Amino acid sequence: MNIELQVLGYALRAIAEEMGAVLVRSAFSANIKERRDCSTALFDRDGRMIAQAEHIPVHLGAMPDAVAAVAMHHPAPGEIWVLNDPYAGGTHLPDVTMVTRTPVGYAVSRAHHADIGAAEPGSMPASSRTLDEEGVVIPPTRLDDATLNALVERMRNADERRGDFRAQAATHRLADRRLAELCARRGEREVLAAMDALYAYSERVVRAAISAIPDGTYAAEDVLEAPDRDLLVRCSVTVAGESVSINFAGTSPQHDGNLNAPLAVARSASYFVVRCVTDPDLPASGGAFEPVHVTAPAGSLVNAEPPAAVAAGNVETSSRIVDVLFAAFGQAVPVPAQGQGTVNNVTFGNDRFTYYETIGGGQGACREADGPAAVHVAMSNTLSTPVDALELQYPPPRRELSAQARLGRFWSPARW
Amino acid sequence: VTGVLGVDVGGTFTDAVLVEGGTLRTAKVPTASRQEESVLAAARAVGTDRVSRFTHGTTVATNALLERKGARTALVTTAGFEHVLQLRRQTRAHLYRLCDDHPSPLVPLERCLGVRERAEPDGVKVPLDLDSLPHIDAEAVAVCLLHAYRWPEHEQRVAEELRRRLPGAHVVASHEIAPEFREYERASTTVADAYLGPAAGRYLRALADVAEAAGLPAPLVMRSSGGVASVAEAASHPALILVSGPAGGAVGAARIAREAGFPNAIALDMGGTSTDVCLITNGAVGRSHERTVGGFPIRLPTVDVHTVGAGGGSIARIDSGGALRVGPQSAGASPGPACYGRGGTEPTVTDANLALGRLPEELPGELRLDGAAAARALGGIEPEDVVRVVNAEMLRALRVVSVERGHDPADYALVAFGGAGPLHACELAEELGVRTVLVPDAAGVLSALGLAVSDERRDWVETRIVPLADAGELPASGDADLRYRGQSFELTIPLGRDLAARFHHAHEERYGYADERREIELVAVRGADVRRGPPLSLPSPAELRVTGPAIVEQPGSTIWVPRGWAGVRDGTSTLVLTRSQHRPPRQTNARG
Repeated sequence: MNIELQVLGYALRAIAEEMGAVLVRSAFSANIKERRDCSTALFDRDGRMIAQAEHIPVHLGAMPDAVAAVAMHHPAPGEIWVLNDPYAGGTHLPDVTMVTRTPVGYAVSRAHHADIGAAEPGSMPASSRTLDEEGVVIPPTRLDDATLNALVERMRNADERRGDFRAQAATHRLADRRLAELCARRGEREVLAAMDALYAYSERVVRAAISAIPDGTYAAEDVLEAPDRDLLVRCSVTVAGESVSINFAGTSPQHDGNLNAPLAVARSASYFVVRCVTDPDLPASGGAFEPVHVTAPAGSLVNAEPPAAVAAGNVETSSRIVDVLFAAFGQAVPVPAQGQGTVNNVTFGNDRFTYYETIGGGQGACREADGPAAVHVAMSNTLSTPVDALELQYPPPRRELSAQARLGRFWSPARW
Repeated sequence: VTGVLGVDVGGTFTDAVLVEGGTLRTAKVPTASRQEESVLAAARAVGTDRVSRFTHGTTVATNALLERKGARTALVTTAGFEHVLQLRRQTRAHLYRLCDDHPSPLVPLERCLGVRERAEPDGVKVPLDLDSLPHIDAEAVAVCLLHAYRWPEHEQRVAEELRRRLPGAHVVASHEIAPEFREYERASTTVADAYLGPAAGRYLRALADVAEAAGLPAPLVMRSSGGVASVAEAASHPALILVSGPAGGAVGAARIAREAGFPNAIALDMGGTSTDVCLITNGAVGRSHERTVGGFPIRLPTVDVHTVGAGGGSIARIDSGGALRVGPQSAGASPGPACYGRGGTEPTVTDANLALGRLPEELPGELRLDGAAAARALGGIEPEDVVRVVNAEMLRALRVVSVERGHDPADYALVAFGGAGPLHACELAEELGVRTVLVPDAAGVLSALGLAVSDERRDWVETRIVPLADAGELPASGDADLRYRGQSFELTIPLGRDLAARFHHAHEERYGYADERREIELVAVRGADVRRGPPLSLPSPAELRVTGPAIVEQPGSTIWVPRGWAGVRDGTSTLVLTRSQHRPPRQTNARG
């Protein structure tokens, strides 16, 4: 690989990382600032993801749809576009995505906001049945002050929400400035060439790793426990040479609760598992997923259609998709045993505050090591909110909460 | 008696510097397993009979933590929160390697014990029940109770009881060492401090004995904050000396830059396995309030040194995607780079520099470099590519401490030191837009020089979480940690007039926006009592003028001056390199 392009690739990655660091440090939602439930990325002009600062894997495969959804509207440079519609580039409503044009493509940020205006505080309702019960649905929209104010007025803690939106928007101005500097220093053509090279490099590494997996078709299934019945998640993984096809045929149809997931979530989960079984240290770039093809029946639990509710698809269904994919890949290569199999959301709040936390548990063992205890498993990897910080910001919780939290965090057993 | 002596213990060598009336004597001796013996050997090599001040940088605490050789330690927490160390912050160690684990806590769960009591942010809610404090069998005990940064009384009484029950044990309470909110980070810091107490105490007492027997003044020990303190102070809170070594380098670089007329500079210390960079503003070394050491957050004032795992010994290889990667694996001191002829076969950055003709045939210490071995190890890898990739890694670190904190590198000079820093500095400067590179004559022993001239410094912090408008009168000097109410990370702003306006401005600079209608919250007030170190008077070596491309050999380091750069050393001990002509950026492809 051309060294000049490789060095430029470092610079592109550094810009994505700086966007992420700025968002975490200047945000207001505990969810973003303490827990880092956000990701930032740079895309090229063709809408291919070039570099991503990942904090949690669930955002891995979900951003390209957001860029495609905004690109259709031909955004002008300097405009900030925002969306959260799971059926138009989003995943679930609390994940708000911003997209801007840059001199060499697009910059994208996605952050889980503490409230998005659902009937219940925290906007992760346990019992929603349609999307509009889960909060404000934002189709791709050009964001200006008036739009911003109109949006946040429909959510709890409008002022805090406004702060988070502004912090998120600031990362885009930063990306724009940094990319302009880079182009001025190195030439736009070189930066574009470096984007191509970075993408192709990731693709080569992953193709080489996939070709080391024995060819064949591997199937697995498991259930997801809805309140009224068990829902089936079924996958079949076909490894052929340098590529992998993942198909979710046989998975239950979407249901009238909120465990439904748009295809972007199924893709993120699939990419996560492929990363784990190929090259875990490869920097995130869309090229790594070029050899991975994900399909699912339209209207199924993992490729839901409007107006299905999707709040828990991102957190619960995504976890189960990971479980069944590891079970399938496990027939061909060593994989870790299953972990707690949930992102384990806890939310509470009222009109004045909302609190959202995901609780860690046990990761199953690997062939050469025990699985760690008290950690986030699979699709999440957020920091816990310190008790000191929690009690400073929110009404004093009772001691029972702390004890519960302690037991839950530490003693959640691995499933097998 | 006017000599000032600095002795810096590193992993491979122990360096000594004696500055006396415009003369400078330096020495390097191999580091022995008993550090106090190396310290004495190095001190004797420069002379011990005319020393008025003796300062010391040590890795004893860092090594004890990394090698897990501290005391058998217990932790006392608020009942119900005994698992604080095991829970950490719940994140896993690696996103995609699922069984990678964090280092196991310094205290095993069976020695994490609860005591009945409870404070909340607004005061004590459950009185302390000392009878609930279990029997403890340990050499060191850390006490960390919820909200003790604000309500320390229970911790004080528990610590008192423990000191009564266990007179030989090293007992530390969190409010004594890190009275800041966020219980995991506070407990982690307190536990490290307790864990290191006995080992650091033993070493420092041995050092003091050795110094006294040799007729040296009582040693002063470099703290992570970049200031020195007495042996007794260092022994009572050894978590404060975890970054002792890099702190000496940063202080030395700041002093060199100031003397050369560059109050704004970036220190670049490139060694064999890692590179430390640090921003120096208005002659002062940048400071931070937290650092991770060996995987444990240590929430204490430290020089803000950013470290990357790239150095002269970093190994180059081509990966499966055809990309050249350099480090983080290192050939270290043994076997060392292939060209050292000590059995190393893998290509390193040093081998690449030799192949490019940027190193002499022989290094000080009669180490002959084997160019053929370097070429063999490199095989088909272009040496220039190795240098460019490792430079990209270091560039990333230099950008983190400058650009990402809102500072334009063009306003700074680069101070290059460590064995390999001066080899790479000019090219890095060019990439960053830095116009001046400073290479001190003492580049090979700059950390020891920094020790010799460092200030005495005692930091303090008070957590006070209130709206800034209600904070009342603040101290005249020191810093305030401020944030918009609702944020979790603070910006540190010097106390003084227009505090709010300066916070908004800093927020705009760092994060790209400010919101003047939003309430500002004070989180902590910090400060330090500083007693200035001795003046620095260095000898001036012979005048030197050099135009690139050229190699300049100095004791302990080699300088590579690329084409387009020129250097002058005239009446001072520092070579000042400047870009003499603008060089256009490299082009990848021929343009059509």
